[in-house]
Amino acid sequence: MVLKNDDNRNIWEKIGDYFSANSIWMKWYCTGCGAIEMPPTMTSRFDMERLGMGPMATPRQADVLLITGYLSTKTLRRVIYSYEQMNSPCFIVAFGSCTINGGIYYDSYATIGRLDKYLPVDLYIAGCMPRPETIMNGFNELIQMIKKGEAKGWKHYQENYEWYKKNQLDSLGEIIIKDEFHE
Amino acid sequence: MNLAIILAVTVLMAAASFFITRINKKAGGFTTVLSSLFALAALFFLRGSIGEDFAIFYFTFSITTVGWYFSLVMVMAYSMTSFFNPYWMEKMMYPGSYNFMYLLSMAGTIGMFFAKDFITLFVFWETVVWSSTFIIQLGKSRKASYVYYVISAIGSMATLFAIMLAYSVSGTFVISEAFAGLSGGMAIAVFFTFILSGLAKIGIFPFHVWLPEAHGSAPHTFSPVLSGGLVKMGAFIAFLSVTAFPAYEIFGDMFKVFGAPLPIYFLMALGAISIIVGTLMAIKQEDAKRLLAYSSVANGGYILIGILMLDQVGFAGGMMHLINHAVASAAAFLAIAAVAYRTGTTKMSEMGGMIHRMPVTYLVYLIAIISMAGIPPMGGFVSKWLIFQGLADKGMIFLAAAAFFGSIGSFMYVFRPLSAVFLGQTFTRDLKKKEVGFFMMFPMLILTGLSLLTGVFPNIFLRVITEIQTSIGLIPVTLAENTIVTANGFLDAFRVFIVFGFGFAIAFVIFIVRRKSTKVELMDTYTSAEFIHTRELLHYSSKFYAPFERMYGNAPDTMTLYKKISVKIRELGGLAESLFYSHKPEKTVFWMMAVGIIVILIGGVV
Amino acid sequence: MTVMNFVYGFLVLLGVFIFQTTLTGLNRKVTARLQKRYGARWYQQFLDIFKALRKDSTSHGWVFDFGVIMALGGIMATVIFIPISGFQAFPGLDNVFVISYLLAVGMLGMAMSAAGSGNPWASIGVARALTNMLAYDIPLMIVIFAMIFAYDSASLSEIAAMQQGMGILGWNAIRMPLGGIVAVIALLGMLGKKPFDSFIAPAEIASGPMVEYGGKHLGFMFILHEFMTFIEVALILNLFFGGGATIWEYMLKYAILYTFANIISGVMPRFKIDQAVRYFYRVPLAMAIVQGLVVILTGLGVTIWF
Repeated sequence: MVLKNDDNRNIWEKIGDYFSANSIWMKWYCTGCGAIEMPPTMTSRFDMERLGMGPMATPRQADVLLITGYLSTKTLRRVIYSYEQMNSPCFIVAFGSCTINGGIYYDSYATIGRLDKYLPVDLYIAGCMPRPETIMNGFNELIQMIKKGEAKGWKHYQENYEWYKKNQLDSLGEIIIKDEFHE
Repeated sequence: MNLAIILAVTVLMAAASFFITRINKKAGGFTTVLSSLFALAALFFLRGSIGEDFAIFYFTFSITTVGWYFSLVMVMAYSMTSFFNPYWMEKMMYPGSYNFMYLLSMAGTIGMFFAKDFITLFVFWETVVWSSTFIIQLGKSRKASYVYYVISAIGSMATLFAIMLAYSVSGTFVISEAFAGLSGGMAIAVFFTFILSGLAKIGIFPFHVWLPEAHGSAPHTFSPVLSGGLVKMGAFIAFLSVTAFPAYEIFGDMFKVFGAPLPIYFLMALGAISIIVGTLMAIKQEDAKRLLAYSSVANGGYILIGILMLDQVGFAGGMMHLINHAVASAAAFLAIAAVAYRTGTTKMSEMGGMIHRMPVTYLVYLIAIISMAGIPPMGGFVSKWLIFQGLADKGMIFLAAAAFFGSIGSFMYVFRPLSAVFLGQTFTRDLKKKEVGFFMMFPMLILTGLSLLTGVFPNIFLRVITEIQTSIGLIPVTLAENTIVTANGFLDAFRVFIVFGFGFAIAFVIFIVRRKSTKVELMDTYTSAEFIHTRELLHYSSKFYAPFERMYGNAPDTMTLYKKISVKIRELGGLAESLFYSHKPEKTVFWMMAVGIIVILIGGVV
Repeated sequence: MTVMNFVYGFLVLLGVFIFQTTLTGLNRKVTARLQKRYGARWYQQFLDIFKALRKDSTSHGWVFDFGVIMALGGIMATVIFIPISGFQAFPGLDNVFVISYLLAVGMLGMAMSAAGSGNPWASIGVARALTNMLAYDIPLMIVIFAMIFAYDSASLSEIAAMQQGMGILGWNAIRMPLGGIVAVIALLGMLGKKPFDSFIAPAEIASGPMVEYGGKHLGFMFILHEFMTFIEVALILNLFFGGGATIWEYMLKYAILYTFANIISGVMPRFKIDQAVRYFYRVPLAMAIVQGLVVILTGLGVTIWF
């Protein structure tokens, strides 16, 4: 996904993006093995709150969804459901090499290879797992991107909805499943 | 003479409706509507003839402001509820006798409030008790009518005893003179036995056990009348017991607790206990009508405390709470009846999300509970404010603590049907239900309008109450043109309402200016990303306040106390039976010889 | 009731919003320093509110929107009635009971809209919030009742005025020491701060009533929370700590009281809701009743004082 910086925002959107950049709430949903790096980033040593970021409980209240590591097909269904419950403008930050090209699980049948075929990613943070300093750098980068108007993943998702849905259904079969306990 | 016409017309229409129902059930229901509306209109115009006295056969009546006020509240409850009657005629087992008893009890209440002597009062009182007993039986259970009748009978017989005792001292049955010349122990005995029927009817602890049974199991169209109307009859007896008695003078030299003589403070303490018991029991209930019945217990406690205070402010608060509670309780019961009409049940765990199908019923219920909980700008706030100011004037701290407990606890229990029945997830079988018809919505909307009126312009009703206060010799509560002035501060309900509207307008403007929200389905909600498909499992309605209920849930019921007393009496009877009614010849010989020896001894001495 | 009253009311709302939001931001820094970190910027709370107002939102029906508007409307009306060091936008309507019950309108609106979202977490949060209200209100109201009896007035500005002029000895928290302790504990309960915040409980019941709020609804909730904090702290300030003769004294006392409550809550864990109710009905209730009886029966602290 190529991010061209065509800055055709009006003054209200620029002010709104300033607010969105300086007060990002992350969804408290840490998938995969990268989740272990989130508590040090949130707590006193590295202190995410300096940047204005803080955790929020539900997808409706959150701005950014952190995909911290690999995603199995089971988890991908729930991640897609959560992402579609989030209110735009919302962002996705992908941690680790598993989201870029499959990482160390590149030949597994149960995990996905490239995240941005299924969900629009605004920022990748490379590493197997990135340390808190890297994560803080990445968040700073995200803040600058939002201020300049380059973090348009949610718009891309809405405009290319059928392409994303086709990829999701090809890999997963169906997103909302009914298990054997209901209907 | 107008009152005689009203009473005669109502009794005749009662008999007529019985026969009309035999022919066509719905027409019988409509006759109750017409008859009660006629009574309401005629009573309204009776205000002009306040001060007249007249007699019909042996009954003497006198039109007073108090009687006019009380009877108007009662007939309003009757007439608004009667609109629901035609819809329930099909389901009722004996619709003819239901209509007959309905109108007969209404006639009884009208006659009772204007009675001039106690025999009239008692005859009309018993008419109401008997006819409502037979109506309650047409509901869900027979046990409810037994409990109702027994507790009413305890009260009625005690009042009759008090009246006869007073007659033996004063020699007259006329209400304003019957209690003259009482003093000392006789006064206390008469006072407590007289007010017993009032306590039993309002539902004060420990006589409150009939309320959940009767209100919970009565037919849906009679519960609003029971709660909004009939408990006010007890309030009238309480009123008589402090004004006609007159309690503060007769007990004037007894030990005073916070400014009130000890017997009166004892009764106010009973009222406070019933506030606490009613609130705590209401929080536990699973059935919407039983919950509202316990809330009537709690509000009855407020009315009793207000009326017994008999001062400038608290008395006005108690009297105003009468009309506020009648309107709010009737509206709440009618809303639950409307929901029961569509879904067939009143158990809160079997319903959910009805707001999406019945929005008007939801609004009616919402405004009713805002008034019941005492939140401005509805009427309940004004009466509770007056009662609190009255208590603060005298410094009755324990009663005030109970009153606050009841007030804040009422937020909890009135919110529960709102959230369990109207809000939350809509059940699958209710997805296609419709709102009730206009004929049923009409009385609910009128009651809602009355709630709003008493809250924004309370002085309309407070002026009538000041007339009542002057007629019994109290200093009336001070009313400026829109404000109520008390010693501790003043209240301008209209200005509070306007500022509330101003705040609402600002919030509305901020809301509209932002982008419109996307409408999402109810099941598309945060479930920790799990996929849920059953609507009924996602609805939180039973054991709503489980952590709080656990703290007192195992406390014994008052009903168990009554059952234990009845078991003891039966054992006593068994003892007497084994002594005097045995089949053994030895015992008969023993008793004959004993009686014979006693007679010889007495005969010998004499 | 002229147009000027409404203009004053609007200015009061604006001033209170700016003051309280700045204070909340500063208190986030205080809490962070308690935890040995730097913390957010002092204007972070403004950024949060405007960001929430800017986002799109989803709604579950008309009662979801209506409840939020009713809640914020009721709370704004209550703020207009609070006296700020003697200045009132609508003079004479600052009765203690009016303010306590108008607060209930806000809670009812929030409860309505939360339950209307159809999420059981919201209903559980609302049930806990109402139980919490029953817990803290009774001891506080008993002390306030005794105060009304003793001072013969239920108006906030009058009670505040009667405490001024004697320095610290005039405060009701010194005249009625047990009552002052009960008031500060009840203030912690009212503000919904730890240890009494089980109805928000982010990780336990997914933030309780706010579970389905996104976008402008969440912004409204934050604004509501700021105004409610102001009402509660100002209530305790006027009743127990003497209000403020000038506006600077008022703002200073307010900031100290709020920061004090924040520091206490920063080091406490969270009570379960039945533990909270049991806590309030033991020692605080006993203290309140003892204080009430002392004031009503003997007048110590009001009529018998320096």
